[in-house]
Order: sequence, then C-alpha cells, then structure tokens
Amino acid sequence: MIALKDIEKYYASKGVKSYILRHVSTVINQGEFVSIMGPSGAGKSTLLNIIGMLEEPTYGEYKFMDEDVISLSERKRIELYRNHIGFVFQAYHLIDEMTVAENIEAPLLYKKVGGSERKSRVADMLDRFNMVGKKDLFPSQLSGGQQQLVGIARALAAQPSIILADEPTGNLQSAQALQIMELFKKLNKEDGITIIQVTHSEVNAAYGSRILHLLDGVIKEDVRL
Amino acid sequence: MFKLNLKIALRNLWKNKGYTLINILGLSIGMASCILIFIFIRFQLSFDEGYRNEDRIYRIVSKWEYPNGEDFSQGVPIPLAAAARNDFAGIEKVAAVQRSGGIVNVKDESGKDVIKSDERIYYTQPDFFEIFDVKWLFGNPKQTLTDPNQAALSQSIATRFFGSAEKAVGKNITFNKKDLKITGVFKDMPENSSLPFQIVASYATFSDRDSKSWGHVSSRSECYMMLKEGVAIKDLDGPMDQFNKKYYKDNDEAGRQLHGFQHLRDIHFNERYGNYSNTTTPKSQLYGLAIIGCFLIITACINFINLATAQAVSRSKEVGVRKVMGSKRKQLIVQFLSETLTISLMALLIACVLTEFALPHMQQLFDNKISFSLFEHPVIFVFLTVLVFIVSTLAGFYPALVMSGFSPALAIKNKVSVNSGSLSLRKILVVVQFAITIILIIGTLVILNQMEYVRKKPLGFNSGAVAIVYAPGDSLSRLKYNTFKERVLQIPGVQGLSYCQIAPLSGDVSEVSFSFDGKDNKDFQIRKSAADENYFKLFDLKLIAGKVFLKSDTLNGYVVNEMFLKKLNIKNPQDAIGKLLSANDRKAPIVGVMKDFNDLSLKQSISPLVIYPEKSDYYNMAIRVDEKEMMPAMKKVEALWSTTFSDYIYDGQFVDDSINSFYDGERITGTLFKVFAGVIIFISFIGLFGLISYVATQRSREVAIRKVLGASTYDLVKMLNGSFLLMVFIANLVAWPLAYIFVSKWLSGFVYRIDLSIWPFIIAMFISMAITLITVSLRSYRAASANTIDALKYE
Repeated sequence: MIALKDIEKYYASKGVKSYILRHVSTVINQGEFVSIMGPSGAGKSTLLNIIGMLEEPTYGEYKFMDEDVISLSERKRIELYRNHIGFVFQAYHLIDEMTVAENIEAPLLYKKVGGSERKSRVADMLDRFNMVGKKDLFPSQLSGGQQQLVGIARALAAQPSIILADEPTGNLQSAQALQIMELFKKLNKEDGITIIQVTHSEVNAAYGSRILHLLDGVIKEDVRL
Repeated sequence: MFKLNLKIALRNLWKNKGYTLINILGLSIGMASCILIFIFIRFQLSFDEGYRNEDRIYRIVSKWEYPNGEDFSQGVPIPLAAAARNDFAGIEKVAAVQRSGGIVNVKDESGKDVIKSDERIYYTQPDFFEIFDVKWLFGNPKQTLTDPNQAALSQSIATRFFGSAEKAVGKNITFNKKDLKITGVFKDMPENSSLPFQIVASYATFSDRDSKSWGHVSSRSECYMMLKEGVAIKDLDGPMDQFNKKYYKDNDEAGRQLHGFQHLRDIHFNERYGNYSNTTTPKSQLYGLAIIGCFLIITACINFINLATAQAVSRSKEVGVRKVMGSKRKQLIVQFLSETLTISLMALLIACVLTEFALPHMQQLFDNKISFSLFEHPVIFVFLTVLVFIVSTLAGFYPALVMSGFSPALAIKNKVSVNSGSLSLRKILVVVQFAITIILIIGTLVILNQMEYVRKKPLGFNSGAVAIVYAPGDSLSRLKYNTFKERVLQIPGVQGLSYCQIAPLSGDVSEVSFSFDGKDNKDFQIRKSAADENYFKLFDLKLIAGKVFLKSDTLNGYVVNEMFLKKLNIKNPQDAIGKLLSANDRKAPIVGVMKDFNDLSLKQSISPLVIYPEKSDYYNMAIRVDEKEMMPAMKKVEALWSTTFSDYIYDGQFVDDSINSFYDGERITGTLFKVFAGVIIFISFIGLFGLISYVATQRSREVAIRKVLGASTYDLVKMLNGSFLLMVFIANLVAWPLAYIFVSKWLSGFVYRIDLSIWPFIIAMFISMAITLITVSLRSYRAASANTIDALKYE
C-alpha cells in the first residue's frame, strides 16, 4: 500500500545540510499496524508527515496505492488523502468553535458527502464511541481522552483505509491511553484499517504488528511482532 | 537602552516591510487629511480675531418678523448709528460703515491716468478705528478721516497705486469722478477678516449720510459698536427694546422691523447675516469637518492596532525570551511604544509632504480666496506634536499591553493566542468604515451624475459663444450705443449684439407685482428683463405666438413666457396677445409669447417672465461671436470698448462661464466627496487587510486542521472571505438608507434633477465587494496555502 524508496529529507541553511531522514526505504502493506519509535529528533514525525503527504521529501520515491505521490498535483494529492487517510494528533487539533458532532462532520463536508449520508455517518460514529450525549458539547468541555476519541471518530468518519497517528496518547493519562490503544487494535483487527503511529512508549508499540526503530533519520531496525 | 530599542524597532519594521508600508501609508494619509482639516478649521476660526477690544465689539443688525417667518440683514438704516450713539448709555463708541463701489483713477503729476480700477470704498467714521485697533502707518484717523473728501488706503493698495505707502500720503485719487485726498495709510486687513477694507473714505464724504429714512435698510450700511468696559451685552436688551419702540412707532403691522446685537466673532459663522467679505462658514460645517478628521485618525489608529495585534503572535517568542532574561513589563511596553512612535514620526513626515502637495489643490478648490500654509503659524507644530503623541499612544498602547502581557512560559513555546474577545468590536468598526465608504461612493456617483445632467441639459436658449459685456448707463455713454454697435458688428467673427439688462439665465432678479387685462394680480410677481429686439434672435429664444416687439427705445410691448400664461391659467397663447399688462405702472400690450427657458439655475424653477424694450434699463450687452474666432474677436471688442467708454473698465464674461459659477458650491462638494471617498476607500482597504491578517493568524491552526481534513486552498479562501463579504454586505444594507436620505436631500436642492435610480447603489455595492474580495483574498490565499505542518507542530 505504501512504498517508500530512498526517502531523504534535509534542510539546507548556509550551505550546510542538516539531514532529518536518510535513505529511508520500506513497504507497508494493507492491514498492518506499524509503530515508529525512536528518540527525540530521530525524524519520526517527519516520516509520518511525508507518509501523510503533509510534507514533501527532498528526494526519493513514494508510491501510495501504486500512485506516484511526488508527481501528483496538489489537487490530486488532496483528493487522495481525503479518501484514504485519517489523521490523529497528539494535541487532538479539534476545531474549538465547533461542537463534537460538527467536528466529526467536517471532513465529510470536504469529501462532498450528501447531507443525509453525513448525518447517518456522524450518528454512527457518536454511537460507536458512546458520545451521543456529548454531541453538542464543545471540545473545551471534554477531557483529554474524550477529545482524542472525537479526534479518532473524526478520522474514521471519512472511512479511511489508513490512520496516521502522531503520538496519539502523548497528552493522556495511562488509563485513557490504554483505551485508545485498545480501540486502535480493534479497528485494525476488525475493520482492517492500516494504522501507522509514532510513539515513545514500548507498551503502546506492543499493540502493533510491526515496529520501525528510527535513529538520526535512518531505519535501524524493522521488527515484526 | 533607547538607542537599542530604536535599533530593534527599525529592524522589526524592516523585517515586516509590507505591514510597515501599509501602516505608514494608512497613518500618513489619515494624518495628512487631519492636518489639512486642521489648517482649514484654524483659518476659519481665526476670522476677526486679535482685536484688543474683541470681547466688547458688536455689530448692530436688523431683523423682520412676518406672520410666516423672519428675515435678517447685516445692514441698518442710515440714521441708526447716530441714534444709537445718543440713546445707549452702555455703549462707548459707535461707527457707521457704508460700502460703495466704482471706478478709481490715479493720475500722475501731469494729470494722466496711470491706474484705472474698479474698487470698493468704505465710508466710515474715525470711531471705527477706535473700536478696531488697526495700525496706521501714516496719519491718524482722528484728524485725517473727519473732513469730506479725505481717504486712507491700506498698505498694499497704497503700494499698488503710488509705489509705496509713504508716497501715497498727500496724493489724490478720483473715485467716481470725485477727488479724494489720501491722508493716511493703514496696515493691511488680514485675509481672515470680515472687513476687507482697502480704501476708506471719511463718512463726511458719503452723500446720503444725513438720510432720515428708517424704513430703508441696505446690506451696504453696517454699524459697529463697542460696549463700555464692565457692561454685559444682556444689560442692553432692555434699552434695545425701548430703542425699537421709539423709532418704530407703527411697528405692530405685519413685517415688524427690529434691531439687535451680533458679536464680532459671530459674524463669520452666522449665515443669517452676511458681511462685507461675502464669506460665511457656519460652525456646524466646521464641526462636521472636525468629526470627519477625528474619524479618519481614529480609523487609521484602529487599523494600526489590528495590524499590530495580528503581528503580536509572531513576536510572542521574542517577548517570552526577553521576559525570561529579566525584562520588566514596563520596559517591554516602552519598547513597543518606541516602535509605534517611530512609525508615527515617519508617517508624520510623509503626511507633511502630502499636505504640501495637497495645499495648492485645496486653495484652488476654494478659488484662491483663501491661502493656506503648513508652517505659517506655530500652533500647527503644537497640533502636530499632539497628533503624533495621540496616534502613538492610541495605536501603540493596546498592542503593547497585549504583547507585553504574554506569559513567558507559553510565549517561548509559541503557544499564545491573542484573545478574540474584541473581534466583534473590530467587525463593527469595519462595517462602519465600509458603510461610510459606500455612502461616499453613492454620494460621489449621484453628484457626478447630477452635475453631468446640469451641464448637458438644454436650457431652452443658445448660450454658446455669447459674452455679456458691461454697458455703462450714464446718459453720455448711452448716446454712444448705436455707433458702438455698428462698429462692433464690423469686427470679423462678431455675429450679433443686443443691448439688454441680463443674460437669459441670471441670478440678477427684479420682480414686480403687475396687473393683467386691467385686473391687479395678488397671487404672484413677475420677473422682468429689459432687452432690445435682437435679444431673441441672439439667444435663439423661440416664440410660440405673436411676434417680437418693434425696435424702440421705450416700452412698446411685452413678450411673456409660457410659465406666465400657465400661472394665469391661459390655455391658448393666442388669447394673451393684445391684452394689456401693467408692471410698475408701465402699461403696454402683450405682443408675443415665447417658449419657456431656464431663467434661473437648475436649482430653481422657471419664473413667470416678461421681456420688454427700455433703453434706460440696459446695462449690459450680449455679443455673439463665431466659436472659431472667439478669443481674437473678443480681444478686438475689448479694445474697441475701452476706447469708446474710456472712463469705465471693461467687464465681460461668457454666459456659459457665469452659468457654471452657479454650481460652484456643488462643484466643491463633488470634489470633496471624490477625495474623501478615495481616502476612505484606501483606509478601509487597510482596515480590512488588518482584520483579515488578524483573523488569518487567529485561525491559522483551524485552517491547517481543515486542510488536513481535506479542504482545498479554494475552500479555505472561500471560508475566510465569506465572513468579510457578509460584513460588507451588511455595511451596504446599513449604508443604503442613509445614502438615500442624504442623496435625495441633496438632490431636492435642484428643481431639475436626475431620477434617483438603483444604479449608484448597485455600483457602490459592486465596488465595495470587489475591493473586499481583492484585499481579503491577498491575505487569505497566503494563509490557506501556508505550510500546514508549521501550524500543527507541537513542540
């Protein structure tokens, strides 16, 4: 599903290149649950952003579902991730001015999903995450764990085939973190959604099926559990 | 410390060149408008100030009370001054002034005319110069303005006539063929004076000085007085009542004539009464201007605040680091204020340059009647300093407070957000700004349309290439009329000449009551105009019945217009022919009916008009010339005129020019509207830009999230623009009724006017929307296409 070949990323300042990623090559198949691990500054988030098409690599080849992402126009790229990718962030990044239901609905608007279909999908999500009672609350009225659940619900509403999560539990207490990880595992097992997460925690990584260890921009280890 | 602050300020300004440019431009245009308005208001307010006894000087004025209204005049009956001097105990000095005009000749030693000029002369009493402490360079009013045929000149006119003030003393000038001896020279009256005296003659020279007529009031006769020290003007109310009773015994009929006092400093501002300099500027107009000035500077400051707070977030890190290093909040505020001060000073410099450029245009706009200068009066420096101080405080303090208030821990992490509480206030301000912009755009469009209409509207007569030239009315000159005409007609390019009273369209009105067909008419008066038989052909006036009266030097028939018949309810013009008309006891038959033409400016409707021949009433001649040879032909006419009527001064004007001068006020309003519309459009542009920058910064995280959720750049631009277009639309809704009220009120000043259509409103909406769209898109596109990751990074 995802094929990275010789991905490089560096920032050049005053002629000195500071590398973030070097010669990253890997293939991630449909249905995998991959955790990217490594110390701070190893390039984990950058790698995830490149996979999510939020950043462009300096060099290298990136094929997403057999399409060459790098040569795509912006419009096509947006089309691609609208339909296939859901993002989950450490800081949740919900829109503060929107209620829970509206937040979940937002990506569907951009996908141009019809009104009734939108309503049923939002209702479905609220149901699934037990948040029907909270649908008219604003993000600031929820706990961190609940906010992250909304974040995940929002990502799932667009029915993506892959979820990219950047330290999804980084801001949460361990009990809530556990709940989120269980949810990911369930989504991966039952719905066949591919999940790629960046994490610091061995415990979280243990939920997945594969771990990529990153150090100074290089994949040091690729472990299958 | 200050030097460092300044250095950092300059660096910061340089870093954000775009913002700085917009800030400085906006501020400087606001400031320049303010300075211009200040100069104008200061000039107007300074009228008649600076006399030693200013507080005690009053003018005695007249008032009539009718059953249905009041009438006012600056003038008083001629005997009033002497009576007032006698009757009021509280008055220290009284001086009568009488204005007269005519030809002044200055001869050299050999008795030859060197200067011949049309001048105004003021007869006054020595007391006048006791009341007004005008400095005399030579002579002394007490001795030199007492006997008949004595006169004094202002310094500039003395220089013009005789080369210098010194040389003028003792010389003679002739005024209307009467010799006046120059016995004194006084310092020029200032430009901002309601008493533009240049030639003053002793009151004893004034031929009507002993008139006993209390019923006759002319605006030429004014009367000034000075209160005794310690006497309040209220103390004179009672004596004035008695004074009025004493001199107007039979005053209880309709049209009671009364007198009152008007303070010197009210003369320039009170439109009820006129004054010798023919300029009054009502205070309300000055207040209006001052409000516009304040509005301009306040919006410029608000724009500044919007832009600065929008930038605040990007500077939060600097603030955080400074705080961690130990900077106190006060020091930060000082730093930010010194930045604003730098900007204000730069803006002020540009504003001064702009003002210098604008001043000549402003002078031109007011027909060079007033001169303005930027650095003439020290008070302007005080104003500039205050302006800079106000602007930098007003515009700098709030952003400084906001920025210096960031918590250092959050600021370093880039986690601050500027509170959005005051956003709604800013939105309201932008709506107000745009509402004003739209009103001005609509006003400008309508005024331009109406002026175009006025210019293009057929007036009913042909005014092209016709000049009205003064025809001297004394009996000697009248004898020359026929020969002059013959000789003028020989000049190549001259197509016709008609002796007449006035041009077909003229503000010079004489109305009389009349009787028609033996019956006195009480319903309306007719306007009469004397002209010879060639007048009709010359101006291409069409007759619909009867014919033009025969050539005659005295009244032999009237030609009336359609309006006259309409007012008398005569349907068939033929019915009027042959009926006797009597005006001013002069009886003659109606011989012709002419088609209506506009005899007054288009602000007024057509009057019932009669034209008749009467040589003794002519004081103008209308000369039609070939359009191609207009200038050379008129030159020859002027030369011929000057040799024929050598005692007089040629005075000619094309009819079209004098018609245009009826709309001077409207022209000035139109220009002011255009300028202010331009300025306000620019300021609104900056305001919008500030607000969208603010909003874009505020919503940058939201924009990024939406982008991640799949929104395209187009979606995001649409989202950011939407609220602005809505705001401008609301501004349109607010502005339309106000503009409609204003515009229809302005148009109602014209009897002949355009129909108010929806188009100016639609165009204004279109313009405002287009401006908004362009401005906002510039910034929102940048926000929407910014790198998503930067806004979402969490480190």
